[in-house]
Amino acid sequence: MARHAFTLNGQPREVEAPDDMPLLWVLRDLVGLTGAKYGCGEGVCGSCTVLVDGAAVPSCQLSVTEVRGSAVTTIEGLSADGSHPLQRAWMAEDVPQCGYCQAGQIMGAAGLLAAKPQPTDADIDAAMAGHVCRCGTYVRIRAAIHRAAQEARA
Amino acid sequence: MSSDSNEPAEGLHNDAIHSDPTRDVSRRTVLKGAAGFQLAAVFGPFDGILGFVTAHPDGTLVDAAPDAIVQAGGSRISQWLTIAPDGTVTITAHKGDLGQGIRTTVAMIIAEELDADWEHVKVVQAPADNAFGNQGVAGSGSTSSMFNSITMGLRTVGAAARTMFVEAAAARWGIPAARCRTEKSTVIADDGRRLTYGELAADAAKRTPPAANAVQLKNAANFTLIGRPTAHVDNADVATGRAQFALDPVRPGTRYAVVSKSPFIGGRVRAVDDAAARAVPGVIDVVNVGNGVAVVGEHTWAALKGRAALRITWDDRGNAGLTSDGIMAAKAAALPDAPPIDIPGARVVASTLDLPFLAHATMEPMTCMAEVVGDRVTVWVGTQSPQSARQGAAQAAGVPEGNVTVNCMLMGGGFGRRGGNEWVREAVTLSKRLGAPVKLLYPRDEDMRTDNFRPASHHRLRGAVDASGRIVAWQHHLASGGSGNGPNQNLANQARPSYNIASPDLQAVGVGDPLSVGAWRSVSHSQINPANEVLMDMLAHAASQDPLAFRLANLTNNRLRGVLELAAEKAGWGTALPPRVGRGIAACAAWNSYVAQVVELEVAVDGRIKVRRVVAAVDCGQVINPLGVKAQIEGASVDGLSTALGAAITVDGGRVQERTFAEYVWFRMADTPPIEVHILTGKSSSAGGMGELGYPAMPAAVINAVFAATGVRVTRLPIQPADVALAGAPTPVSTAVSTAVPTAVSTAVPTAVPPTAPPPTTVPPRPTDGPGTSSSKVFLPWGGTGRP
Repeated sequence: MARHAFTLNGQPREVEAPDDMPLLWVLRDLVGLTGAKYGCGEGVCGSCTVLVDGAAVPSCQLSVTEVRGSAVTTIEGLSADGSHPLQRAWMAEDVPQCGYCQAGQIMGAAGLLAAKPQPTDADIDAAMAGHVCRCGTYVRIRAAIHRAAQEARA
Repeated sequence: MSSDSNEPAEGLHNDAIHSDPTRDVSRRTVLKGAAGFQLAAVFGPFDGILGFVTAHPDGTLVDAAPDAIVQAGGSRISQWLTIAPDGTVTITAHKGDLGQGIRTTVAMIIAEELDADWEHVKVVQAPADNAFGNQGVAGSGSTSSMFNSITMGLRTVGAAARTMFVEAAAARWGIPAARCRTEKSTVIADDGRRLTYGELAADAAKRTPPAANAVQLKNAANFTLIGRPTAHVDNADVATGRAQFALDPVRPGTRYAVVSKSPFIGGRVRAVDDAAARAVPGVIDVVNVGNGVAVVGEHTWAALKGRAALRITWDDRGNAGLTSDGIMAAKAAALPDAPPIDIPGARVVASTLDLPFLAHATMEPMTCMAEVVGDRVTVWVGTQSPQSARQGAAQAAGVPEGNVTVNCMLMGGGFGRRGGNEWVREAVTLSKRLGAPVKLLYPRDEDMRTDNFRPASHHRLRGAVDASGRIVAWQHHLASGGSGNGPNQNLANQARPSYNIASPDLQAVGVGDPLSVGAWRSVSHSQINPANEVLMDMLAHAASQDPLAFRLANLTNNRLRGVLELAAEKAGWGTALPPRVGRGIAACAAWNSYVAQVVELEVAVDGRIKVRRVVAAVDCGQVINPLGVKAQIEGASVDGLSTALGAAITVDGGRVQERTFAEYVWFRMADTPPIEVHILTGKSSSAGGMGELGYPAMPAAVINAVFAATGVRVTRLPIQPADVALAGAPTPVSTAVSTAVPTAVSTAVPTAVPPTAPPPTTVPPRPTDGPGTSSSKVFLPWGGTGRP
């Protein structure tokens, strides 16, 4: 057990946690941010995706030690009021069904747009390859990513 | 109380009570008969401002109002409806949302008849409470029962409340109610005076609800909300991470539990060595929960590490020799012998189809949060059966059901999985033992192997057409699962095709599955319909007819005809395609709804399959929310593609082999083609079911498309590359072009299809589905359109 300092949604944060505790459980069980979801715990479903220093990663696969000193952004930090272009696009395209995977999907898309503001379909395929949506909302996710990108261009 | 949710999925063409306002005579008859029951059920004693007390049929008093209503304040018109002074209309959804959009649908139906201003409608979720009738979500029955039923329908809920607002305004103005109309949460007098629902709420709440026969439902032509594309009410909460699932409420002192259950089918705990688990820092307790062991920790990570440190000796109960091949062979062997079809001059086709076990694999695994304080129990759970969850919690805690509050959370997928209450019982047991709130999580591998699987089934398909192309024989003999053994006439009856087949020979036998099986999206339709639509395709080719034209020539149902024609038209049916690209068509008629889907796909020489496009046409009668229809068809189409080309549950050594999405290969972004959904309206004024409709045609559309592309008639799902590769070509492990990604950060996903095969240099024979040719590979001479 040790103290770990990192930046969480723009604010400095310190947590006391076992060194090997995945960021997902730090966020959910210690900090109380529950937007990131458990889906598999093995990095194969993408439900727990957050941004670490701007890159989309499954938070179940990073220990708290590995994010020391990093900037972590969760769905709660993307924007509190849903005003981020991706969040607005998700609503405009009526993407969610059950909604469970969508915070992870949005954060995956945020990582993509940070790296490639105008992604092609192939870029979207590659960037979102780590995400599963059992409701099968992929068609609308793709449309929402394009919509957010287009809005940024306009 | 209501019959909706227990309506079996196989309840084809269920004649729900007709609500067409043009059919006045029948409607009045129904209303008169049901009046007293309806109002007693919908409107308990309500006292206007607050006081959210509803009388139960059993006489006990409970708080039937969700916390959110209490906090919001406002005047309570009924248990479904509270109006705040600022005009906010808070509607109670009594059925849970698992991605089918029912919270939006409930609100739209009530708001339509209430003439509520949709911009100011909020939706709160009812706890489990018998005052709301059956809150179960199953059988694609929610929308049809809520919309079509007069006796238990939600249209009456909205219309009765609207009447109360009109009467309240008329009383204030001292004019007859007939001089008032309503629009956007406002009562408007014929002289132009206006009062908003917010201004009238306190008055309206004090009024006696109208007699049922005084309630006027709208003519569908006057709908302003129903039928309008309407974004789902939880979108903003989902997009901001505020949406609340069972493990999301934050309670002080919460403990975190995970379970370890038998890896052997039907296995039991023989002995547990928990010393190492208890030594893990943060582990609080290790508890035998009957058929498994729960580890409780200060956080989920401690519990997961404790679980990994458990040394459990399992009793395999003699099941260690089970394999899925053996299970399937037993099913095939259980079919009674049937002589080959022998009709002089007829063209005979024969094939088989093996469908595997399927897991629900909801994105949110089974979870439940429970807090037992004294003899009071509070549960947070996403459930398809709130009443069952409440019963389970009460029994586990040893308290009356009235002491149990079940907060019905959003469900991270359901598909039939969340009808049980095992995880509710376990969470309550643990909370009671620990004296603390407990969040119980089934880790993914436990969730997958403890599922109630869609049963595997074996189908024997035979048929014949005469020289004129007329169907002269149809045999569909199937062996499926479940607990029963022996002939199953009910299942055989369900196998009746939607086409005009004279005297179909339908036989079904049950073969008890060693695995726990249960309802999976579309239940037996998921097995029967693919088989029927494959046999129909085989007969079309035997008759040398286009598969679409052949279907149209063998049906009389105009709604079925309508969706087939529309899907084909939108898909460009019959236009030329490159080599090894094919289109397949299939339809499904169920839940008083109709769908046809065209799948266009390309089969690479190595057997990998790239789906290029899905086009669906749907007729579900009265559409409540076109966006909901679109979402259901898109999603179920992805289910169909995933289970045709990737996902299956297999058994070896008595163990379920798939642990997570790495092995249970579901479609991802790169796999998913454009999916078009076209909606036909105007053919029925009743609302059909939509939650399951999009699945049962899809596996057949894929199989038929593969035949069109390659001449190979697939006999098992999921399709393996070796089943459809060109002879001699090396084959990958999965047909999916982008197979499951081993790590989430991998970007090395192949998205391009390898070059297609060169066209054959000699004209091969026409593909046939004759006996003995079902696995032969034949080139299509006409460029893979599937047309002769």
